[in-house]
Amino acid sequence: MLRTTTGVLSRLTINETKTTGSAFALEFVRWRRKPRWLPVAKSKLFRVPERKQQNADEKAELMRLHNNYKLQMRSLRQYLREEVLRLNVTTTADHIVLTPEQEEAEFQRCMQENEAWNQKIAVERNERLQRELEEKAVEIRQRLEAARIREEERLERADEVVRREIELSKSFITRDKLDTAIEQALANPVDYNFSLDLKGNIYRGRNTVPGGKGTPTLGGANEIEVQQTLKASN
Amino acid sequence: MSVVKYIGRTTDFRGKTLWELVGNLRDFGVGRLLIRNKFQRYEEPCYMRILKVEVTPHDPAKDPIRKVAVTVEKTWRGVVSPKPVTIYSTSYKPDYELVPKEEEQKYLNNNKKVSEQILANSIDFPPLLREFIRQETGVQEPTMKVHHKQTHNKLVRLAKDGEKPTIECTMGLGRPASPKLYENVL
Repeated sequence: MLRTTTGVLSRLTINETKTTGSAFALEFVRWRRKPRWLPVAKSKLFRVPERKQQNADEKAELMRLHNNYKLQMRSLRQYLREEVLRLNVTTTADHIVLTPEQEEAEFQRCMQENEAWNQKIAVERNERLQRELEEKAVEIRQRLEAARIREEERLERADEVVRREIELSKSFITRDKLDTAIEQALANPVDYNFSLDLKGNIYRGRNTVPGGKGTPTLGGANEIEVQQTLKASN
Repeated sequence: MSVVKYIGRTTDFRGKTLWELVGNLRDFGVGRLLIRNKFQRYEEPCYMRILKVEVTPHDPAKDPIRKVAVTVEKTWRGVVSPKPVTIYSTSYKPDYELVPKEEEQKYLNNNKKVSEQILANSIDFPPLLREFIRQETGVQEPTMKVHHKQTHNKLVRLAKDGEKPTIECTMGLGRPASPKLYENVL
């Protein structure tokens, strides 16, 4: 069929290229058939398909043979289906048939075996539980001991802190000691100032000079400066 | 006279839909006789008498097929159905025809009946299976039940015990319907 249609279609495409005369109007004919979604071709729009007349004798004979075959196959399938069902009910091929006493004995045997297994497993389980219990007890004891030691250390540290505070509280300035403390502070002024040179040496005291000790080189000017800054800050 | 030209696919139907017929009649054609053209191939009378017409809701946008529920007294191949039948799902088929009142007698007087046919109950086994069964059971001519399809309008019946069936069922090719096809063959 393809071979017969190719001629027509190639002629069509040639005509088309001739009429359009453009290289862009090329159509590639891959499937030599109208796709199903295209409407009926214009040339086929008013065509009424012819009804093929079948020979009545042939038709009757073919119909009879067909019905005959279907009837035979249906009957056979029904027979085989029933046969399988019957076999499933009556056959002893895939299982062993036992009398009730035998079944009871078999059941008892299975029960005994099961009991034996259960006992064996119970012994093993009890041993394991006992062992786990002991291990747990040891662990708990160890943890209790560790906790006790931690608590003692904590108390020790707290005691230490308390002792140190008590020791320190002896030097606290109370209302009674206030005057003496002031006097003592005035008597012993502490100078926290210091200066650094380029080598990183520290010279304690406001007026210390690198060469000697406590010589105020720029004392007057410094005091004036300090007073000025104090005023500015106030 | 204009020439009627049909286009498109050919059809086996001939006639109108029930909606077209019933909608143009007084009292929706209750009491009138209808025929399905498809069933006129049978010699026995096939016709329907309209008993009741019920218009059903219709949305042409959803479904362009217009149906109508028509209750009829149905006669098919000379057998009058005991209960009235409601035609609904097939009412859209353009295969119905209204019988003119003067022609009704033609259908009503047609007294042909389907001759009684009796189906066979049993059938032979196919050859190989028959051999197996012979070996297993020792029965020389084993037979099995025939599986006949069940339909609501079957005009044949199964053979009773000791009855000779008119339609034989064989495992072979059977008797040819048109023997002349086999002339000079083999």
